[in-house]
Amino acid sequence: MIRSTAQVESVAPEPRIGVYVCRCGGNISDVIDTEKVAETIKLVPGVRVSKVHSFMCSEPGQAMIAEDIKKEQLNRVVVASCSPFLHELTFRVAVRRGGLNPYLYEHVNIREQGSWSHHGDPEGATVKAIRLLAAAVHRLYHAEPLEQIRLPSHRRALVIGGGIAGLKAAVDLAAKDVGVVLVEREPQLGGRLLGLASLFPNDESGRAQIDRLVGEVQNNRNIEVLTGTVIKSVSGFLGNYDIAVGPASAGGAADVEAGGAKEKKLSVGAIIVATGHDYYRPGSGEYGFKRYTQVVTMPEFIDLLAGASRDGIEFNGQRIRRIGFMHCVGSRQIEGIHQPQADGRVNDYCSRVCCTTVLHQALHAKRRFPYLAVFDFHQDIRTYGRLHEDYYRRASEAGVVFFRFHGDEPPLVEGGVDGYPVQVRLKDWLTWGEEIVVPLDLLVLAVGMVARDNRELVNLLKLPIGADRFFQEVHPKLRPVETSVNGILLAGTAQAPMTIEETLASASAAASKAACLLAHDSVELETFKARVDADKCIGCGLCFPECAYEGALVRTNVEREGKTVTLASVNPGLCVGCGACVPVCPTRAIDLQGWTLSQFEAMVDGLLSAPLPSQPATSESSSHGKAH
Amino acid sequence: MASDYKPVIIVLATSACAYPGADAVGKAHLEYPANISVLRVPSPVVFPEDFYLRAFARGVDGIIVASCGTDCPYEGVYQKLSRRIDRLVKRMKSGGLEIERVRLTAICTVCIKAFLKEVNQMNDKLRSLGPVDRERAEALWRQSMADLRASVGLPAQTA
Repeated sequence: MIRSTAQVESVAPEPRIGVYVCRCGGNISDVIDTEKVAETIKLVPGVRVSKVHSFMCSEPGQAMIAEDIKKEQLNRVVVASCSPFLHELTFRVAVRRGGLNPYLYEHVNIREQGSWSHHGDPEGATVKAIRLLAAAVHRLYHAEPLEQIRLPSHRRALVIGGGIAGLKAAVDLAAKDVGVVLVEREPQLGGRLLGLASLFPNDESGRAQIDRLVGEVQNNRNIEVLTGTVIKSVSGFLGNYDIAVGPASAGGAADVEAGGAKEKKLSVGAIIVATGHDYYRPGSGEYGFKRYTQVVTMPEFIDLLAGASRDGIEFNGQRIRRIGFMHCVGSRQIEGIHQPQADGRVNDYCSRVCCTTVLHQALHAKRRFPYLAVFDFHQDIRTYGRLHEDYYRRASEAGVVFFRFHGDEPPLVEGGVDGYPVQVRLKDWLTWGEEIVVPLDLLVLAVGMVARDNRELVNLLKLPIGADRFFQEVHPKLRPVETSVNGILLAGTAQAPMTIEETLASASAAASKAACLLAHDSVELETFKARVDADKCIGCGLCFPECAYEGALVRTNVEREGKTVTLASVNPGLCVGCGACVPVCPTRAIDLQGWTLSQFEAMVDGLLSAPLPSQPATSESSSHGKAH
Repeated sequence: MASDYKPVIIVLATSACAYPGADAVGKAHLEYPANISVLRVPSPVVFPEDFYLRAFARGVDGIIVASCGTDCPYEGVYQKLSRRIDRLVKRMKSGGLEIERVRLTAICTVCIKAFLKEVNQMNDKLRSLGPVDRERAEALWRQSMADLRASVGLPAQTA
């Protein structure tokens, strides 16, 4: 995190700019002539240093920048590398290490929007890199040191969803002494796991796992639990969210009393979204679902097996002796082969838990009823994870019979003969495409996970959704549980299909992140807010109707030449930095700091006036890498 | 136009949608002409009409305003943006500047195809139109700034 720093440097009247071009280990330099870029950019006024490094984001790369700032008295820095979403923050921190205000830094994207999108045109990509760098240098002529905005915050988090992810996040947060409000739509805590008996990896039932966590939650004075409750409205920002909650059912007062849920206002600093998943619901007739009574989904089977008496599994009056498990139902679907979902897209992702669940349940069933014949129909077996491969080995040893189909030729489920209610017909690729018919008493569809239809919550929280309809993180590796909304984090299967182990890890990660954000009694906000130059403001008031955020623009009376005039000013806590007020100002008194109109105009000028690379580049040109 | 004419095109891309959308094109290693540069902006609503006209006057041949569309994270901002582009287009039309040089569109974070379509269309269009008439753009730019100031009774700036 960037800390609020006292203004370290006084801005030198003359810009002394350092430009750093990253090769990204070839990702950039295989296409763009990075040496030529560094050499050419020196022709732009103000550039004092221009260097190339194989991995600018590495410690040596960052150290080089920090040292140059001191040694060469640089007062502005540009790095040309990957997308700013990856490393802008990295280099802001590096620049601060060198004693420079982190906002005297500009990030240029020459990978995603350079080498990777112009690989067929190395020369064009090189020219574009120079242009973008020149734009950045020009923009920096107008840069000024900015301070992070600090506002008091609530050391309290809202956790939405009382399943295993939400429970775990709540317990972890409370342990860090962060207050928690845990909101669950259903009348009781527990979520999906309540309905699941005996789960991998340790055969513990879902209920036992939930009971343990619920016990911890209920005995914790840091955690307030609101069941039968949903989120009604959300406003505010990191550190200062105002939440309204109310009863889950749309019904009247009777429901409210029944559930105990009330309308309530909450003030929290961060929000963890742990709303979980839905099971894939097969379409009518998909793998015989609904067409044949002896076709059930995996959650139904887990229930059935757990409830089976010592005498065996019975379903619809039929004693079960031959069970089939169908993998990838609702997962890894292929366009043109599978029926698309309501939004026109197929579920092309892997649901991750089904393979291991199938084998775990198959083994469990075989252990209880050794006479069972178990058949497994898969495209691939993906028992990734610690010791999960054992389930595959043990299932083979226990006599589970495996069949393998191709994704574009899924097995057919038909009515059975000879007293068998259903049969599966497939081309089995373990026997080189032999057509096989397997009569069954019961077919279990290993249904995958799908994103919940959470439209209202999505609208309230303004969260991004991925192509797979799950909530999307900022970056899968660099910021895996954060959303693009500052202070809103993801836990568990609301984000993607996950095993219980993965869900717990994700919940703990989200809780840690939230605890870090709320570690102090104040939070640092992005500094990119509107700002009014009181000397230029004439009090015309044109900006006020443009602002949609109540309280962000404030009318302020000031004395000017003996008269009281009403000028505009900005409340940075409530301003979202959208910039709607900026273009209507006739005197350019209002601007977004860090994104001023003069900076954008300078970028255009820089882009247009960029020097062209000299032709041809002398191969022994060694001037790059050294101070200009 | 000569076949080697490369118009200068800028894409004003929102941080929340279109800029990651342009990144997604690169991540997929799909190509578009290198004379197209993406500038990141919280929302293009920040730009007054004179910003566009100034850019044309300085030699930018085409501007794609790549917004979030109705996914805009800011309240009411997309509507304001589209109204402003409407006014800009009217101004360009009245001043004899080809209105195809500016285009308002919405690009989402994964809208790879839409991004490629927009930039390629603009590129093709501008290659047939040729370079921007900078003098006309300059006149329009001055006029738009004067109009904004006149709306609150201020005289046009002389500088």
